Amino acid sequence: MKTTLLGLFLILLSASLSVASAPQSDAIGRVQTLKGTVSIQRGNNALAVSIGTPVLCSDTIRTGKAAAAGLVMADDSTLSLGPNSELVLKDYVFNPKEGKFSFVTKMAKGTFSYLSGIIGKLAPDSIRMEMPVATIAVRGTKLLVTVEE
Amino acid sequence: MNRYGTFLLVATLFSLLISGCAPRHTVVLVPDPDGHVGKAEVTTEGGKQLLEKSFGMTTVSSSSTAPSPVSVATPEYIAATFSDVLAIEPSPSEKFILYFNSSTAELVAESRSTIAAIVASIKKRVAVSVSISGHSDASGSTQLNDKLSYNRAQTVSELLIQQGVSPDILVVTSHGKGNQLVPTADGVAEPRNRRVEVIVR
Repeated sequence: MKTTLLGLFLILLSASLSVASAPQSDAIGRVQTLKGTVSIQRGNNALAVSIGTPVLCSDTIRTGKAAAAGLVMADDSTLSLGPNSELVLKDYVFNPKEGKFSFVTKMAKGTFSYLSGIIGKLAPDSIRMEMPVATIAVRGTKLLVTVEE
Repeated sequence: MNRYGTFLLVATLFSLLISGCAPRHTVVLVPDPDGHVGKAEVTTEGGKQLLEKSFGMTTVSSSSTAPSPVSVATPEYIAATFSDVLAIEPSPSEKFILYFNSSTAELVAESRSTIAAIVASIKKRVAVSVSISGHSDASGSTQLNDKLSYNRAQTVSELLIQQGVSPDILVVTSHGKGNQLVPTADGVAEPRNRRVEVIVR
């Protein structure tokens, strides 16, 4: 009986732990501001975006002709996209406890504004922005970027 | 013109066309909202350029050429090029710090009222994201402090949920003793480092 109870307790404990850690491994940021038609390409699906929509690693965010969007990442950095823009969230790790950080984006086309957050303070070397023919390394600051196709 | 000449002309025109269509990037370094100016380095296969002054700008015309020498972006250029993206930037966040009694996930008396202030801020802004990060001071083992900082962040998360905040907007992380507000040597007890930082977006 005692063993059964202990077993049940362990199952419940592990269930509650896995639920507790789920949000950390999923959303890496959210859409905070939005204008016009914006979509997220996730795998083979194109998802509609509204304010509060979570973004995940590997998502591609696209804005339409008169559209724009602002993202807030888990480390409080922000990334905004102007009209006709395309951004790929290639890699994002925000794990201060284990000292693991990574923030790699690809700015494929359009206009962008980036403001660094906690990763910029703790591990600036782990931030990289890729563009079609150049890359940007950034140390705790704000940048404005245009990428023409 | 012989056939070789025609080939050269076509090849030249073609390469002009290619380079004319090549992607072109512009990178402008601007001050943070608090006035601080950082650094950015733009790199191509052909070279690199460091931006370290306010409104410093470099352009890239192809992967094989180095980024241009630094020029200064004028307010007119910034307004004409970036007005849409600047208008959509998320507003600056609001930050709160809550303190805890030594070795516990129990709020100090003065920090209890901060929970109400956070809830008010979330309602006023119609916040879409609230990050809750737990921290500890440097006394005790890494393992103990990891657990402690996690429990502190969870305590704040639960108090906010009890006050009607949606769990969907909460992002909880814990830093152990790795991210101190007041830097100390390892092993030092420092009340200001026993904290949870809440950022409301």
